[in-house]
Amino acid sequence: MAQRIDDIWGARTAFAPGEEWPQRIDRHLAVGEDEVERWVQSACVLCSNGCGLDIAVKDGRIVGVRGRGDDRVNHGRLGPKGLYGWQANNSPDRLTRPLVRTNGSLVEASWDDAMGRVVETTQRILDEQGPLALGFYTSGQLFLEEYYALAKLVRAGLGTPHLDGNTRLCTATAQWALVESFGSDGNPGSYADVDLCDTLFLVGHNVAETQTVLWMRMLDRLHGPGRPRLVVVDPRPTPAAREADVHLPVRSGTNVALLNAILHELVANGWVDREWVDSHTVGYDALERTVREYPPERAAEICGVDAAAIREAARLLGTGERLVSTVLQGVYQSNQATAAAVQVNNVNLLRGMIGKPGSTVFQMNGQPTAQNTRETGANGALPAFLNYENDEHVDRLAAHWNVDPLAIPHWAPPTHALQIFRFAEEGSIRFLWISGTNPAVSLPELHRIRAILKQERLFVVVSDAFLSETAALADVVLPAAIWGEKRGTFTNADRTVHYSEQAVEPPGEGRSDFEIFVDYARRLGLSDRAGKPLLAFASPEDALEEFKRLTAGRPCDYSGLSYEKLRGGSGIQWGGERLYVDGVFQTAAADCESYGHDLSSGAPNEPDEYRAHDPRGKAFLKGAEYVQPDELPSDDYPLLYTTGRSVYHWHTRTKTGRTPELQAAAPEMWVELAPLDAQRLGVKEGDVVRVESARGSIEARARVCGIREGVVFAPFHYGYWDAPGDDHRAANELTVTEWDPVSKQPIYKVAAVRVEKVAAQDGEPAPAPAVTAMEVPR
Amino acid sequence: MNKIGLALKQLYQAEEELADEYVKAGERLAAEHGIWYACKRFAQQCHLHAETLRRLAEPYEQQLPPSDDAAVGETTTAALRHKLSEILGRRPESGMLLMRSLRQLYLQAQEVSFHWTVAGQLAQAARDPELLAAVDELHRETLTQIKWLKSQVKEASPQVYAPGSSPAHAA
Repeated sequence: MAQRIDDIWGARTAFAPGEEWPQRIDRHLAVGEDEVERWVQSACVLCSNGCGLDIAVKDGRIVGVRGRGDDRVNHGRLGPKGLYGWQANNSPDRLTRPLVRTNGSLVEASWDDAMGRVVETTQRILDEQGPLALGFYTSGQLFLEEYYALAKLVRAGLGTPHLDGNTRLCTATAQWALVESFGSDGNPGSYADVDLCDTLFLVGHNVAETQTVLWMRMLDRLHGPGRPRLVVVDPRPTPAAREADVHLPVRSGTNVALLNAILHELVANGWVDREWVDSHTVGYDALERTVREYPPERAAEICGVDAAAIREAARLLGTGERLVSTVLQGVYQSNQATAAAVQVNNVNLLRGMIGKPGSTVFQMNGQPTAQNTRETGANGALPAFLNYENDEHVDRLAAHWNVDPLAIPHWAPPTHALQIFRFAEEGSIRFLWISGTNPAVSLPELHRIRAILKQERLFVVVSDAFLSETAALADVVLPAAIWGEKRGTFTNADRTVHYSEQAVEPPGEGRSDFEIFVDYARRLGLSDRAGKPLLAFASPEDALEEFKRLTAGRPCDYSGLSYEKLRGGSGIQWGGERLYVDGVFQTAAADCESYGHDLSSGAPNEPDEYRAHDPRGKAFLKGAEYVQPDELPSDDYPLLYTTGRSVYHWHTRTKTGRTPELQAAAPEMWVELAPLDAQRLGVKEGDVVRVESARGSIEARARVCGIREGVVFAPFHYGYWDAPGDDHRAANELTVTEWDPVSKQPIYKVAAVRVEKVAAQDGEPAPAPAVTAMEVPR
Repeated sequence: MNKIGLALKQLYQAEEELADEYVKAGERLAAEHGIWYACKRFAQQCHLHAETLRRLAEPYEQQLPPSDDAAVGETTTAALRHKLSEILGRRPESGMLLMRSLRQLYLQAQEVSFHWTVAGQLAQAARDPELLAAVDELHRETLTQIKWLKSQVKEASPQVYAPGSSPAHAA
């Protein structure tokens, strides 16, 4: 039945450069197609690709999905998570009523009772402590309208800077790499550039598992006429790495050294479009000075890859005519995240390959609606890519919201996620509202996170669809409606905006986060300067209309979009197919989203300094020295630990773990070891091992596979909701509390660990999926 | 007595003292993870500056000792300070400690910057291109440290002082 579990990418529909990617309509239905009563337009929320789909409805329940053939993103295709994941909506253990903590346990309550407690506590803490004692931590899974309502409520209504999204964990570096190079967030290119390119450069981007449909598009090019050359940087033999012309299995944490060597080769061989660089960038001389010190031999030593392979990779990148580069967590969650991501931008900038058909860089997103937390200011920025250090920008926002500019905290950047938890730890934050995310499994160093959430003095509100590990620690739990049960819009990594219609009613008394936030603001009596309710929204559409007016003239200009325009047909990109087609970037001092940072320390540039050297639309070439990770293998902890994803699961498995096909495909935690390391440790395939860092330990079965020697991999999906009593399973028990100095994205991919065998299993294979990255190379 | 050598020695000493303060502050504030890692890096940077100065001061008749770059967090007292920080880090008073440490670092970094300004002027007066190039590059790093410290002050101070302390007229 579950055919697309084994055949993840489906049948090839090869095509030549410049041809239209052929349609292929993927579907999965629990009933016969003739039994479907209604098809309701939406898009997939189980990765950042944003595939257009229709939801099948029968008897008021979701019974399946079908890819939308005319959608520009997927041309009808869906990946395994999208095909099967909708079943989680119908899961019997959905939350259906609010819960409140009474005598130590969570018990059912009415909405009035639950919201009454939330509002009363908010008010009391506001009176006693002021707004800085309130924190909000949201998701990458809600809709644009919900984030916008939350951002306005928190930033203008309550007046606390402590609002961030879990997008901090997945795409903060994408945002900041774009800002540091181009002056603004927003990916310059289009997925259609994959159709046109002659060279693909994937850096730390396990696209075959994390964005299966984008990989189908790449595969269809790789298996068609006019095959593009493929260069892959990844420590694991991922499916993409196995298709590559050059695979650079880089040692975790050394991306900057490797990329500097590639830039060195571009410069040394004259593969730089000097005319374009001189007209459209600043900083070439300094970048050249930096990369001069990184000949391939030096990088080879640091990164543990072959110098000749680095040269060959650089030759492919330097001699193509249409280059698409992509970046994801192998860069974002590793050492020197922003510095490394910016070096990939530099590859495209030196080649003059940006804003042109078939030529772009993609700083990919992790989650389906991550782009919207960034656009609406629900993470570490102000809405509409406004610059918190630019008084004119803050005035514009305040005027739009009709509040005093001083009411909007802008004395420093909005607080990032791990700092919010730090403030909760030391006690200055007393109230934390977590919406649609599961920090008790997804944040680093979990024993610390659990201890923070369990504190008596911290009042924790969780809105979620399920009783997650985090919800179980809350004081109030609010049952949330999810995708398919509410309407709204969201935007993918190539700026395609999709409309998602409500297909069914939420179970029980569930409400959308939008309704919950609007109700919270109303109960608190939050209002603007005219005394009008701050969130005067009768529906999500009202919120979108207000957001649209704010974005007019900004890079993320939504003013031409509407629910009406988004209904039927394909999703629509904001900003047009490509940004920066004239080679003019968003860097002018009056326009830019930020004045930028020193990539090594994260020290912010001074606004006056920036204005004095106003780049006026030229992109930045910012170099960076390689700096080794803080935590390196030692005698006590001799191996490098890295975490990542499986094609079958999403985040902490809240949905995918409740989807029979996906759960069966990857049912249990595993860890990956290289054959030589396993041999040294006396570990055979399937044996139970203990992996221990300075922060904790986990036990899991070992998959002995083709990962690079000295590196241990663990998937971060497995927590404890379906493993009661266990507290040694989640990959993040071992990770380190450290973040990139610019993007503040946590470092999940570099830690030092030791491994020991706990029990032999007589050759019974580990429960790792049979396909994808775990395979031993042939 | 070579007075330029003396000025370089003062700069060298200021860098070493700043390195020392970064190490101690980092350990005191180990529960502030963002501060801890940055302090480790800046301490190393100060030691590298001192090493460079040791070499550049030789022609000016200054024999300076090798930079004392004992690794951060490896001595027994360091481990104790670190542990203490993690225990006290659960208490709101840790915010005051953070502000005191940032103030000390900020003042010492300014002192180092002062000496770099002097060194730059002397490099020009002495027509020493090697010293001039080093000042140009390394002073910029000190100024970046100051920018970083300032950003930490801006982020931390409202959270340390404002909760529970709104002005009387706002009530």
